[in-house]
This record gives sequence, C-alpha cells and structure tokens, in this order.
Amino acid sequence: MTASTRSTTELREPPRQASRETVISVRDLKVRYGERTVLDGVSLDILRGETMVILGGSGSGKTTLLRHMEGLERPAEGSVTVKGVDLATASRATLTALRRSMGVSFQSAAMFNSMTVGDNVALPLLEHSALAESTIQVMVRIKLQQVGLTHVEDLYPTQLSGGMRKRASLARALALDPEILFFDEPSAGLDPVIAAGLDDLILRLKAAYPITIVVVTHELASAFLIADRMCMINEGKILAVGTVDEIRSNPDPRVQQFIRREANEPSEASSSYIMGA
Amino acid sequence: MTLLESVGRFSIRQAEYIGRLAIQFWYCLRFSVRASPFKGRGLRWKRTLRQMGDIGVRSLPVLCLVSGATGMIMALQAGAELRRFGAMEAIVTMVGTTMTRELGPLMAAIVVIGRSGSAISAEVATMAVTEELDALRAMALDPIDFVLVPKYLAMLVMLPCLTVMSVFSGILAGGVFAYFTLDLTLLAYLSRTAEILLMRDIVSGLVKAVIFGSIIVHVSCLEGFTVSGGPVGVGHSTTSAVVKSIFLVVLADLLCTTFFYFFWR
Repeated sequence: MTASTRSTTELREPPRQASRETVISVRDLKVRYGERTVLDGVSLDILRGETMVILGGSGSGKTTLLRHMEGLERPAEGSVTVKGVDLATASRATLTALRRSMGVSFQSAAMFNSMTVGDNVALPLLEHSALAESTIQVMVRIKLQQVGLTHVEDLYPTQLSGGMRKRASLARALALDPEILFFDEPSAGLDPVIAAGLDDLILRLKAAYPITIVVVTHELASAFLIADRMCMINEGKILAVGTVDEIRSNPDPRVQQFIRREANEPSEASSSYIMGA
Repeated sequence: MTLLESVGRFSIRQAEYIGRLAIQFWYCLRFSVRASPFKGRGLRWKRTLRQMGDIGVRSLPVLCLVSGATGMIMALQAGAELRRFGAMEAIVTMVGTTMTRELGPLMAAIVVIGRSGSAISAEVATMAVTEELDALRAMALDPIDFVLVPKYLAMLVMLPCLTVMSVFSGILAGGVFAYFTLDLTLLAYLSRTAEILLMRDIVSGLVKAVIFGSIIVHVSCLEGFTVSGGPVGVGHSTTSAVVKSIFLVVLADLLCTTFFYFFWR
C-alpha cells in the first residue's frame, strides 16, 4: 500500500454517519433539449453531510442533473428543492441568497483568466462579506493552503497546470465556507497521480468540515473511494442508488457492465468494417 | 414551409430578440444603482473606470483619424458643387451642422462598434463558453451586474465624449480645407462654426450618442450571453454583434433624426 493510498484509507475510516435530513431533493425531473430527452423522471434525495457520487457514462445526463441542483438551470418539469427552496419558483433574490451557501468546482475550473489566482479566490469574499481587505488577503492564503497551493496568489490561471487550476477553483468554491459543495468531473483530464491527490483532498475536506458533497464523475476508482452513497444514471434514468457496497452488488446488468468496464457488444456492421470484410 | 409560416417564424424570432434586449436592459438599469462609487467597496465603480479606458481612451486616435477624414471628404465634395454657385462659404455651415447632428455621433458609434462592440461580444461569449458566467452565477453574482453594468456605464460616459471629439475632428478637417480654399483662418472658421451651431444641433448629437451607446453594449453583451456552439460560436456571436449593432444604430439614427426634424425645429 502506498503512502497516498494509506492516508486516503485512513481518512475514510471510519465513515462519518450522515444525519438523515434531506438537503437536496429532486422529484420526477424531466429535461428535454428539442426532441432529445436528457433526464426522464429522475428522483433523488441527498442527505446532509453525506458525499453523493453521481456516476454514469458520457451523455447519461449526470452533468445536467448537477446543473439543476446548482440552480444554473430551472426545472421545466418536476422539482428540485435545495434546503427547502424550490428552485423552479424561487425568485432571483432567493436563488442568489441560496447560492451563497453553495460552492461549485467546475469541470473546466472556470477561473477568471483576467484576474490573478488570489483575486479569483478573494472575489466571493469581497462581494459577499464585510471583512477588511487585509483579512481577506489572509483568508485567501489560508484557502489556497487548504487545497495545497502556496505562492500562487499573484499568478494568473493560465500560468497554472490543470491540477493546480482545479485546486485553485476548489479554493474559490470554499471561500465562503459553503454547506454544499458540487464537483463536476474533478479528475477529468488529469493524470492518475494528480487525480488521486484531488480525491485525497475531497476526503480531507469531508473529514474537516460538516459539508454535503455532490460529485459527478465517470471515474470508478475515484467514485468508490470518496462516496458515502452513489447514484448510477443511464440514458437519463436512475438505475440504482445506494452505498458503495450496495452498488457493487446491484444485480442490474447495466450497473455491473459499467462497474466492470465491459464494452458493448460490437454491431455486425462495425465488426465487419474494422475487420475489412 | 409556406411563405406565411416563414414570415411568422421570422417575426417571432425578432420579437423574442427585442424582448430579451428589453429584459436585459431592465435588469441592467436595476443593477446600475449598485455601481455608485459610494456603495460597498466601490468594486463596480473601479471596473467601470477600467472599462472607460478600454472603450474611450483607446478608441480616440482611430476615431479622430476617421472623423477628420470624413470632415475633409464632406468639405471636398460640398466644395466641388458649391464652387459652381459661388457659395463656397456654405461649406462652414454644411460641415459644422452635419458633423454635429449626424456624422459625429455616427462615426463615433461605428468606430466603437468595430473596436469595442466586437471585443465586448467576444469577451462575454468566451466567458460563457469557458463556464465563467456559470461560475459567477454559482458565486451568487449576476453576470448582468458583474459584466454588463460596468461596460454600460462606461459607454454612457465615453460615447458622448468620443462624439464631441469626433465632431471636433471633422470640423477641424473642414477648417483645414477652408484655410486653403476660402482664405479663412482657422480661428475665423471655428468662430463662424460656433455662430451657426444651435443648441438643438449639439443636444441632438449627444442624445444620439447615448442611444447608440446603449444599443452597442446591450446587443454585444446579449450576443455573448446567448452564444452556443463552443469556440466557433464565439466567432459567430462577434460577427452577429457587429452586424446587428450597425443595423440598429443606423435605424435608431433614422428614428432620432425624424423625431428631431418634426418635433424640435
């Protein structure tokens, strides 16, 4: 066992008991883009303090589901309730207030390239707190240290590597000490070592703060490591929801195919094309 | 699809576009109050000042050249005709009033569309494509408040200023022409221009500048906010912003000129 694996295992054991209060509730959510149905009657409850990993293949609708939970999309059919606020009917002001209790780490990091890393992290504090600017500078350094970044405040996001940008994005998401933290594909595009480092970071956050974490990913190793519960989504429908062990032993062949990373049966036409027949 | 259906769809699309512009304009006005230098930490005011530099100061050299050339062209063309009637001195009136009422604001708007409107659209569209606008929303910051308002306020201040400079450059170029053809000193030319200009001419030019500025910022930002199709979409949104801004500015110019012609003689 490597040092990194050992430390993440230690952090995960014993698993924290999530309280049973529902923080995010999705009910019969249907999303269509033109003729294409992206989400087809999705219902899901996320409990306070738990880490929920939404797992699924590319184009399965998991990012769309996440964007609805973040309030970036308004549900046209069905409902999404976050901390008791129905996002479909919430006013702009209510939604803005709700978002102050959320942090989002985007797949592309979404750092503001015209600002330094320090300014990026300071932005939510400058906008939403009455803290003195000198205090904010100290907090920025603390937040960056929490995600393992030092001496990068004066650099621009384009001067950072992919992994560092994601960490900086996480520091910005943590700036206001959110109750709910959303991750969209945290390890996408990163090499395995850096991806493992991010998993480790998520586990440390989980251990340090009473925070609800929602992660969207298709990286199995990462998902099994960080999740308290998992939700498997396929073609816009939820196939299974449960603990890591429950998902591993789920009898649905589509769940097992995904977990075992089994390829689809090739069609006759594609086989003959590849074989040159 | 029948002709009637095509016309119907086109009309609905245009009505939808105007509706979006109107909603964006309304939210922008509501958020503009927060840009006061005395509100909060004055962050929006600082951003507005930065935008003033981008939109105004950096557009000035090219605008002076374009407007100067326009004033000179107008003087040359008018001189060619007026010479036949021995009415060369009418050049002073023609250049002065046309630049102040019409060409000064229009040239300023066109230069700003080409230089700043396209840049605004590309910047906002890139922010949309790279999820930066989503990041703002996720941080409980409204993109209209954070991105649009500073640009709008900067434009409201800077386009009238640029219009004044544009008018002055055009008139000055006319003065150079008059110096060589009418034996009129520059000082005499300018004082005669000041005599013939009415308050109506100056106010109508400045009112146009404010309207044109509003159109440029709102169209450019809307094209950026509604971009689709990744990096290719950024190019499309920039082109679309320039074309729509020019069309709407010319249309607004026509409406304003008609209004002033009938209601403020």
